[in-house]
Amino acid sequence: MSVLVQMSGGPDGPMSTTRKVRSALGPWARENRRELEKRHPAVFAGSPTNRAITVAVVLGLFGLLVFALWRLDFSFARIGAGIGQLAHFLTLMVPPSSGTWARFWLFLHSLGETVAISLLGTFTAAVLAFPFGFLAAKNVMTQRVLHFFTRRGLDTIRGVDTLIWALIWINVVGLGPFAGILAIMSSDFGSFGKLFSEAVEAVDGKPVEGVASTGGSQLARIRFGILPQVLPVFAGQVLYYFESNTRSATIIGIVGAGGIGMYLTEAIRTLEWQQVSLLVLMILVTVAVIDQISSRIRFAVIGERRIET
Amino acid sequence: MLTIERLTRRFGDFVAVDSVDLEIPTGQMVGVIGRSGAGKSTLLRMIDRLVEPSEGRIVYESREITALKGASLRHWRRDCAMVFQQFALVDRLDVLTNVMMGRLDHMPEWRSLLKLWTADDKAIALSALELFDIANLAANRAGSLSGGQQQRVAIARALVQEPRVILADEPIASLDPRNTKVVMDALLRVNRDFGITVLTNLHSIDLAKRYCDRLIGMKAGKIVFDGAPRGLTDAVVTDLYGLEAADVIEIPAAGDPTPDEIRAAWDAERAREPV
Repeated sequence: MSVLVQMSGGPDGPMSTTRKVRSALGPWARENRRELEKRHPAVFAGSPTNRAITVAVVLGLFGLLVFALWRLDFSFARIGAGIGQLAHFLTLMVPPSSGTWARFWLFLHSLGETVAISLLGTFTAAVLAFPFGFLAAKNVMTQRVLHFFTRRGLDTIRGVDTLIWALIWINVVGLGPFAGILAIMSSDFGSFGKLFSEAVEAVDGKPVEGVASTGGSQLARIRFGILPQVLPVFAGQVLYYFESNTRSATIIGIVGAGGIGMYLTEAIRTLEWQQVSLLVLMILVTVAVIDQISSRIRFAVIGERRIET
Repeated sequence: MLTIERLTRRFGDFVAVDSVDLEIPTGQMVGVIGRSGAGKSTLLRMIDRLVEPSEGRIVYESREITALKGASLRHWRRDCAMVFQQFALVDRLDVLTNVMMGRLDHMPEWRSLLKLWTADDKAIALSALELFDIANLAANRAGSLSGGQQQRVAIARALVQEPRVILADEPIASLDPRNTKVVMDALLRVNRDFGITVLTNLHSIDLAKRYCDRLIGMKAGKIVFDGAPRGLTDAVVTDLYGLEAADVIEIPAAGDPTPDEIRAAWDAERAREPV
């Protein structure tokens, strides 16, 4: 099989050479498949086994899910029955209302407190975790023992949940927002240490080599080779945690560590559903606003980078 | 036949490509030359619709390329392959999978997303790799290959698209001289053996003259030369490249200083002791 191609020259007139060329690649390859299979058996044979393994793993995981649902008494019937109850609560929730204006201002004040707890807690944690992110990264910390203890230390701190930290700090500094800030700071310190170190471990080694080649010290390599690469990732993580902590700070409030959570539990306990819906709406709006601001900041750090379509 | 009419692209106030008219018959090997910033890359990327034209149209065999959208745009990109200066391979995937990217628009999407390549598709990919002597690297990660090997993988990927046109944007700018020859030979082979139209940007006038049937010279977004390589005189090169002309082509003149004289003059000017 072959194709005729009309050749022509420059603008000074066609050279009018009609050349015979080999056929397109596709038909030729299909004709010669047997020989190609003989020459590269691994490429053709390798995949069925891999595919079988993939299918087996997916089926295994699905089986595990079914088993877990059965073992944990998962029941659609109970969900169905509960849905009715949920709908009833929803009707009790409209319209959202605080009852009195005085209480509304109280809610607003405590919401501000929640945002403040989350902001201070998150950013203190980020500042404290910053050096540990590098100490816990394998490509920066070549000293094995120190690396091991940094990582396990971060694991331990992270292993204790924010809520437990809140209960601990309440006993130390008493009730109020200060305990909330310390609780968020403690647990996020562990999380940031881990996330930062993983971002550092994923950096491209070439710029670091470039800085090293000029005689730059270890600190200079981190400052100029690694930091510019990881800063956008760090910023994204910190801003997400700020937003997420604003949500979880409501839970901290439940145990008495300050913020809007206290009013939320109180409203639920006294069945004031209109107040509950107002509080939830206020939290939703706050989180949406934080998300808007943080995405602006994130793009400012990353710089406008678009993927062309 | 690829026809370009009054094609223009502006970036803010800057006109990268300025009302270009061009006709390229099927099967030609065309080199686009000119200094950096002359609009060569933008022209090529507009043909593949990676950059949207501001004005003008592109027509390929009665297909209006500038009006394509969605699936028909993807079909055009399949028919018009692109080879990049920095290879544009997925480093973390193996060579075979990278070449299979060229088959994406030939198979149903569910099949490609599950990586269920047919034996025929594998045969096509391997025959392309064999053509450029890199079939033994099929299982290697693309990122672990040398520059010359990666560019050959990229050309194999372009070839398995079974395209009508291949656009190559400075395909050899990041390669050493030996690999430059290997890659240019590969492009020529694609053109001669399969009758695929090749349109390539080149920095080196020498290579452009040696490999191409036809040269197009661009300056400030406009075409200022279009003809056979023998028509490209030193005067035209000087016009195209201005003061940089001496860098892209050897024009030895009788009065030119020797390297020794240049160094001596340099040192004398700064009254510097030789170190």
